Amino acid sequence: MIDGGEAIRFESVSKRFGETEAVKGLDITIEQGEFFSLLGPSGCGKTTTLRMVAGFEQPSEGRIFLDGQPVETVPPYQRNVNTVFQSYALFENLDVFENVAFGLKRRKVARDEIRRRVTAALELVQLPARSDAKPRELSGGQKQRVALARALVNRPGVLLLDEPLGALDLKLRRQMQLELKAIQREVGITFVYVTHDQEEALSMSDRIAVMDAGEVKQCGQPEDIYERPRGEFVAGFIGISNLLEGRVEDSGEVAIGNGLRIPAPLPNDCARGDAVQISVRPEKIAVQEIEPGMVSLEGRIETRVYLGVSTQITVSLGDGARLVALEQATYRAQADDRWEVGQRIRIGWRPEHCLVLR
Amino acid sequence: MSERRFASLTLLPGAAWLVLLFLVPLGITLAISFGVTDELGNALYAWHPENYDRVFDPLFAPVLLRSVGYAAATVALCLLIGYPVAYYIARFGGRYKYLLVALVVLPFLVNYLIRVYAWTAILSDEGLVNGVLEDLGLTSDGVRFLNTPWAVIGGLTYGYLAFMILPIYAALDRMNPSLIEAGKDLYATGWQTFRHVTWPATFQGVLAGSVLVFLPAVGDFVSAQLLGGPDTYMVGNLIQQQFFDANNFPFGAALTTVLMAFLLIFMVFYLRSAGRAAAEARA
Ligand SMILES: Nc1ncnc2c1ncn2[C@@H]1O[C@H](COP(=O)(O)OP(=O)(O)O)[C@@H](O)[C@H]1O
Ligand SMILES: [Mg+2]
Repeated sequence: MIDGGEAIRFESVSKRFGETEAVKGLDITIEQGEFFSLLGPSGCGKTTTLRMVAGFEQPSEGRIFLDGQPVETVPPYQRNVNTVFQSYALFENLDVFENVAFGLKRRKVARDEIRRRVTAALELVQLPARSDAKPRELSGGQKQRVALARALVNRPGVLLLDEPLGALDLKLRRQMQLELKAIQREVGITFVYVTHDQEEALSMSDRIAVMDAGEVKQCGQPEDIYERPRGEFVAGFIGISNLLEGRVEDSGEVAIGNGLRIPAPLPNDCARGDAVQISVRPEKIAVQEIEPGMVSLEGRIETRVYLGVSTQITVSLGDGARLVALEQATYRAQADDRWEVGQRIRIGWRPEHCLVLR
Repeated sequence: MSERRFASLTLLPGAAWLVLLFLVPLGITLAISFGVTDELGNALYAWHPENYDRVFDPLFAPVLLRSVGYAAATVALCLLIGYPVAYYIARFGGRYKYLLVALVVLPFLVNYLIRVYAWTAILSDEGLVNGVLEDLGLTSDGVRFLNTPWAVIGGLTYGYLAFMILPIYAALDRMNPSLIEAGKDLYATGWQTFRHVTWPATFQGVLAGSVLVFLPAVGDFVSAQLLGGPDTYMVGNLIQQQFFDANNFPFGAALTTVLMAFLLIFMVFYLRSAGRAAAEARA
């Protein structure tokens, strides 16, 4: 699927709007055939980055290469790139077929071939039956499919998608995520996908760049980002909670506020006395059933929330430190009625599941 | 009081206004159009439908055709000038957008009659334009502007231009700017994007502007009276003549009625098209 060779290269790309620095010093290379996501909160510069690739904005500094060629002098309509807009931007006066055929017609593709390719594209997005509907007659999900077909039918080198599923309800979103990923595998086109939904990025992408305030904070595979987030922002953004403030001790342990010392896999460059944060994911915390080799602590149950497939309990460790544990309802126990608020229990985790952030 | 009742109550002043100042005069006009005049020129109610035969007398055909022709030319000119202006304001106006719109409307605070009158000073044989042309040595004996069709059409265009600009501006402003980017993204050049994306997306605004210009332009008499002459008289001048010079109220009223019926047909076509577009937009 990923056949090497670069599709897009950003070289120290910055973009300013007056005082606002929308994108700062972007240095990324996106491989051909890759599903690459830009993940970050609203206003962090994702759309601006896409628009520079499409040619709707020019970088204030730095250069962008498409297929190895610099593109600053290439107008949008000559770039081998197509966009799926967040608002779909379908042409209301044209029917579905004509919308999808728009790009091919501008490129003077022969009539027969247009018919063939549009039909194939509509089949790819599973919408062949609606080819003579007007956009306003379509549901949100169907519009999304037309927007996708309209871009893919041109077989661009790169497809840019700006929060394409943002307007859909959750169920449809999940379904479209799977379909999008399958389509991308099938056509093998490089996808640059913008989203602020970490779950979406993690589940679909080959690689993710996490952005904050115009800067890429971390770029890597989903597992990298999720298991080894670099810095507090990335950790927080991909949904890591359970942070405990602490200080590095001689022994390679981290002392947290209430005098507890917790063994943790420290990064090499940590020195004694450094302020760090440690985190253990809720689903990695064992409640009461501590296994040999685990780090374990005692605490008191503060709250218990039944979530169906699991139960979420908050354990107070004293001195304001608390950790959240998610206990799955497994064959072992019925999680919902095992614990009571106020009960004292032991929690534990494997040392390698403890994350140290600086 | 139910909300419904309250809503219908709030309609009362407007309804009273319409009945008193629109429907009643319309009824009187209609009644007089079938009337006759006595020896002193006073209109009398009667049954004299022959007034309408006279409207279609070949004698008046040139005036009626001229009115429609001038109004159509005015619509075309307003569109040619107004669309680029609206486009510029909507797309590139930025934070000056509302100021620019205000500037478009500003001349309308001055009475139409006065504004057109000013043109006579500019275009007359000894007027501003001829003065400049002479000073530049381009002409010696003055160019004839007044009393030409172009002066009348120019006056109409100047008078009603804002009616074209505003609806087109509104349509452009409402349009999703991503549509233009989508056009360019799909390999359309600037012109193709306009032709295949922007123009269709704003066509309802063009239609509205055209109707808003066409309707008053057909019935206009000020421009032809001040900037034109007998050769450029429009139906509005004819009607005015019947009422104020010929003292033939019944014939003037018959002309008015026919003109209104003609305009009503346009109105109905437009409203149906606009209604359909609105219904489609809602769906
Ligand atoms: N055309 C523009 N003019 C001025 N500021 C802009 C413009 N486009 C984006 N910005 C600013 O740049 C920043 C990044 O915007 P954007 O790229 O749209 O973020 P995101 O897509 O991640 O939400 C924001 O602060 C935004 O206000
Ligand atoms: Mg955005």
